[in-house]
Amino acid sequence: MRAAVYRDVGRIEIGEVPDPTIEDPADAIVRVHLSAICGSDLHFFHGKAPLEPGETIGHEAVGVVEAMGPGVKRFAPGDRVVISFVIACGACWFCRNGQSQLCDDFRNLGAGIFGGNLGGAQAELVRVPVADVNLLRVPDDVDEERALFVGDILTTGVYAAGIAGIRTGDTVAVVGAGPVGFFAVQAARAAGAGQVLALDLEPERLTLAEGVGAIAIDVSEHNAQTAVDEHTGGRGADVVIDAVGSAPAFERAVDVVRRGGTVVIVGMYTSETIQAQVGVWWTRAITVRFAGICPVHAWWERAMEAVRSREIDPAPIVSHQLTLDEVALGYELFDTHRATKVLLRP
Amino acid sequence: MALFPSAEWISLYRDLINGSEEYREAGKTWEGDIAFVFEAEPDHGVPDDLVAWLDLRHGVCHGARMIEEGDGAAYEIRAPYSRWREVVLGDLDPVKGMMQGKLKVRGDLPNIVRHVRAANELVHLTTLVPTEFMGNR
Repeated sequence: MRAAVYRDVGRIEIGEVPDPTIEDPADAIVRVHLSAICGSDLHFFHGKAPLEPGETIGHEAVGVVEAMGPGVKRFAPGDRVVISFVIACGACWFCRNGQSQLCDDFRNLGAGIFGGNLGGAQAELVRVPVADVNLLRVPDDVDEERALFVGDILTTGVYAAGIAGIRTGDTVAVVGAGPVGFFAVQAARAAGAGQVLALDLEPERLTLAEGVGAIAIDVSEHNAQTAVDEHTGGRGADVVIDAVGSAPAFERAVDVVRRGGTVVIVGMYTSETIQAQVGVWWTRAITVRFAGICPVHAWWERAMEAVRSREIDPAPIVSHQLTLDEVALGYELFDTHRATKVLLRP
Repeated sequence: MALFPSAEWISLYRDLINGSEEYREAGKTWEGDIAFVFEAEPDHGVPDDLVAWLDLRHGVCHGARMIEEGDGAAYEIRAPYSRWREVVLGDLDPVKGMMQGKLKVRGDLPNIVRHVRAANELVHLTTLVPTEFMGNR
């Protein structure tokens, strides 16, 4: 089959690889109709996380069940499904308690040795372990372009807003209006926020956030703290969602939250360090909630419903629809921020 | 009138500090230079970050000037420019501002809090400098 193949740092190309096969009775093989390039794929593209040359990549995909092992009970060939980017066992204590991102057997598609050596979803076919857990049926009235992101970034935005404890009328500031921020804006509005402030440097991202109801704040033009104060009577935001994952973004998030407010850190952190006056945080009585990776399984049904009911609209984030054969171009566009989201159709 | 902050403003301020009996007494156990970072507010006429530096030891200001970066100072206090203006105008108590995160401190915050009288006198002295603010607010 054809698949996106990692060749070297900065080089992902279309290639031929063996078709995946059922390796476990709980496996399903999904024929991919649409996949996407995710920000976390760029960690591999840049060599920050290891992939071996020849390995496949990608974890955001929607398609139909092509084949399945005898242990799969909830699906049948031909079912339209979206794939969870977290591949969880579904049986351990964490999975049973809604924290599948902490699964004892946590895996990712297309993440090489880090992800348990599973194949990537930017391909014609992909093997999905524990299919009954890691696939979600796509409702008949939801098209695949809109269902695709329920497996990852859309649900991550819903999760971030969901754990923030947003109350009706709250001011929510979203630091970073990239794909996760874009969905966090919509989820915050759906959760009852009175106003959502989107803070970013990139005009295109701010325009997208504005298009789904945010007040755009270009932090190259406005001091973030001053701007948020101006929208909150000098108080600060009730809830801040850091959708970036960098030390400056973290500090900005803590700067703009009000006393007694909540900061949800959903952006991905690896080895960053910050200096903090913990006593000041304590005095300010702020809650800093590290979201970690999204436990997709606990949140994707409500996320899918939000898509189905059009409370959340994924369409504006998609800037490019390419064929799978054009995957190298897709990575180039996404990596250079000329694309907000790239879809790949085999 | 001196533009806040500027070399002229800092020089006038240093002279006021060194002429203050109150500060000499309140700050006699203070050691450590301080960088005051005035964060840019491009939409309000402050295009770039500005940094003022004071070398304060034992109740005396030994040096005061505008500098490029505040990283090397023992203490750094940072806030948007408009917030500093609130401090100078007496609308924001600086120690309260630090505890509320409105003024961000790098360095030994408890030591600053212990020298609250010195801090208050420093703020009081800013009000005696004939000051013109930057920007359009």
